[in-house]
Amino acid sequence: MLLEMLGIAALVFGVFFCAVGVLGVIRMPDTLTRLHASGKVAILGLFGLLLGAALLVPSTALRLLVLGLFVLLTSPVATHAIAASVHRRREIAQQLDDEQGADDNDDSAPFAVDVTAVLARSQLDEILEALERTQQRRDNTDTQ
Amino acid sequence: MIESEFAQSAVRLILLALVILLIPASYRVVVGPSLPDRLSAVDLITTLLVGIIVLLALIEETPVVVDMAIALAAFAFIGTITIARYISEGRYF
Repeated sequence: MLLEMLGIAALVFGVFFCAVGVLGVIRMPDTLTRLHASGKVAILGLFGLLLGAALLVPSTALRLLVLGLFVLLTSPVATHAIAASVHRRREIAQQLDDEQGADDNDDSAPFAVDVTAVLARSQLDEILEALERTQQRRDNTDTQ
Repeated sequence: MIESEFAQSAVRLILLALVILLIPASYRVVVGPSLPDRLSAVDLITTLLVGIIVLLALIEETPVVVDMAIALAAFAFIGTITIARYISEGRYF
């Protein structure tokens, strides 16, 4: 009976933090702050749910421990990857802004550039450069 | 084993609350102004789904269902890393 009460308390704790995290993801003003809010769901919310489940049905405790360790390892890595992608995209947008800054100074939408399209174009440029290099090498061997 | 009536209905209520939380989380997927926003919202939704599967295992009282949650967490991790790399570098590997 005491175990059940503790388990339900842990479940309520977990679902409370899930609700707070979802509220933060909707209401926060910036991408990085939204990322901060969604990290709370992954650790506090999910761990509350796992602890409650382990207390209510003890036969699942071992599997829940494995799941908890896995989430503890992977969730910060995934959040870090998303944050790094935000940083990289801002850098690219800033570079593009500096390159085009001479002719049009439109500060109303600083990050309104389609960064993914720019990245795809830079990939294409790299491929074309590599093709050119192989062509030059072939020409050199021909002249020799 | 969950014996008391109160605990069973409490677990069902919490499961309902988690399922309802999926709707506001998917708002950010639809509206999100940039690609990393949408990606982090999808990550949040998979985390909520892992919690839902754990609660389903609790209601069914079959521990094997938790294995599904482990597999979902693993695939979500791989997908998030890959897409985050794609939208920042323009390639997968």
